[in-house]
Amino acid sequence: MAETTTIVLVVFLIGAGCIIAFMTAVALSSLGKPLPQAEVSRMGYAARKWWARILGVAVIIAFAVSVPWFPYSGAKVLGSEQHFKVVAQQFSFTLPPSVPSKTPIVFDVTATDVNHGFGIYDPAGKLVAQVQAMPDYVNHLRVDFTTPGKYVVRCLEYCGVAHAQMQSSFEVQ
Amino acid sequence: MTTTLDPRELSAARRVMWTYLITGFAIFALMILIGFSMRMEQAGWIAYAPQTFYSLMTLHGIGMITAVAVASMGELWYLMRLETVLDERLAYWAWGFIVAGAIAVVISVLAGQFGAAWTFLYPLPFVGTWWPSWATGFYLIGVALVTIGWMMWCTQMLGCVLSRYGGFRGALGWDYVFHRRAFEQSGRTPPPPQAYAALVAAVDGVLTGTIGMIIGVALIVHWISPSVVIDPLWAKNLTYFFGHAFANLTIYMAVAGVYVGMPRYADREYHTSVALAVAWWGTLVFVAIAYFHHLYMDFVQIRALQYIGEAASYLSSIPTALVTVYGSLMLVYRSRMRWSLGSLFMFGGLVGWIVGGFGAVLDATIPINSDLHNTLWVPAHFHTYLLEGVVLFVLGWTFMMLEERSGSISSAAVRWLVGLGFFGGGGLFLLGFYIAGAEGVPRRYAVQPAPGPELSGLASVGVIILLIALVIVLVEAIRLAAIARRRTA
Repeated sequence: MAETTTIVLVVFLIGAGCIIAFMTAVALSSLGKPLPQAEVSRMGYAARKWWARILGVAVIIAFAVSVPWFPYSGAKVLGSEQHFKVVAQQFSFTLPPSVPSKTPIVFDVTATDVNHGFGIYDPAGKLVAQVQAMPDYVNHLRVDFTTPGKYVVRCLEYCGVAHAQMQSSFEVQ
Repeated sequence: MTTTLDPRELSAARRVMWTYLITGFAIFALMILIGFSMRMEQAGWIAYAPQTFYSLMTLHGIGMITAVAVASMGELWYLMRLETVLDERLAYWAWGFIVAGAIAVVISVLAGQFGAAWTFLYPLPFVGTWWPSWATGFYLIGVALVTIGWMMWCTQMLGCVLSRYGGFRGALGWDYVFHRRAFEQSGRTPPPPQAYAALVAAVDGVLTGTIGMIIGVALIVHWISPSVVIDPLWAKNLTYFFGHAFANLTIYMAVAGVYVGMPRYADREYHTSVALAVAWWGTLVFVAIAYFHHLYMDFVQIRALQYIGEAASYLSSIPTALVTVYGSLMLVYRSRMRWSLGSLFMFGGLVGWIVGGFGAVLDATIPINSDLHNTLWVPAHFHTYLLEGVVLFVLGWTFMMLEERSGSISSAAVRWLVGLGFFGGGGLFLLGFYIAGAEGVPRRYAVQPAPGPELSGLASVGVIILLIALVIVLVEAIRLAAIARRRTA
């Protein structure tokens, strides 16, 4: 997962750089010899047909590729996975002290007072999974830990004065 | 631009516009200083008690959205006043409600220390509070007053747009799109581009205001009688519908100035096309349904809504990329563009909108959102398209008005300084958010885990550079306004 956010950041920075470079080039073109608007429109509208197709295809592909990775499919209440109850309250978590590795487990996450976030950070300090902890509801978060060690839990939904201090931990064995 | 106003009417319309713009900029100036202090606190440069930090965070969030909304409303109101009849008195009433609401919010935060964040997510305003109960009431009533002012503006705009262009059929350009030959043969023309911005702002604005009032009244009722129970998931849906659409509409209102201003700077023409009309139809829908992405991590939410959230978030980028920004690039490409602060701001705003939108689309991808939800990646992308998008659009419109009325523009040296400040300093400020978000640093933390403080320091340096640029912009605005006043005296 840590690699995921690094890739996202790199993709974003490259994409942003390309956008800025392209738009700067368009801006700088206005310093050169002008072209009649009719000519620009003719070229621009022709290119836009392709741009529309590219965007359309990109949206469809991105959506189709992302769906199998949605975190909801594994979060079923009924199943053979082991379930562990998590209760969030201002400003602490009630957690199991340890969970097994290399087997799918499900955290049954709820809250007793306000909205909280149940964010799991691996031993390297990277965010690996999260779900909201809500009063009156139970969210089921399916996780398959592969690396044993101490995992830190941080609140990821603003919940009040000690929000930043609301953290706990559990062992993955 | 259509203008049939006599000098007195034009002067009255300008007064409305400047009232809104100056109010927006004044709130913006205060809020950016508060935001700067928050980043310095996170960097460890200054120290706040957590209560103070979260109260200021609440004020910064609601204040900034109000600031850009008010400024955008003034700009679009003026543009549409040139097209149709709008009542100045009603505009001042709407402004009055918004200012009264803002004052109530300021009192609740500064005197009462209210600190449930601008999203006031139920039941946080009522549980584990360090502020008195009256502060919650002041805050909720303040937001309700702002919403009433917003609804007054929207309903007036909606009525005038519909009567000016022939109901929804005419305002949407339905016949222009589906019966184009007959439409054009009859000598009719579709509404101008800025009218589409007004229509979408008004329709979605009425919708989002209604939703906002529903949850607002529910919370006020709960404040009066805690025995009245509210479902947290229902409240979360309504709150994010209201917040997301309201914030989103500020962009679409402000970009109307680009539709009008950019052709003037490029000395080219820009008219409504079929693509533009259809793009705004899409925007009308996507603004209302993209908010589901705020609830991706609520696994109890109906699954279909999560799919709709991702699809709508993706699709909402297409009208922008395919029509508004693309069309603006066609206006600028090899034109006789007059580069001034006004045109630089407008063009820079388009860059910021697209770059921020790209960051938002990545975040709107559900598997990626699992790693970025409620990290600093979220303020990263929304600060990009608000600070480097909406604010620049409004500044662009403001400077275009000042430049035209003064017959003067800023020197090349000033343009370079402002450009470097906005994009260099602003870029540094945003980079601090993006990198920290990718590192998993949570948002809304008074004290951040590593590497948050170091990156907050980097961001604070960026803000200092940005603030210098903003001071130069203010001095230039005053200088141009003084020249304009001398010319008209």
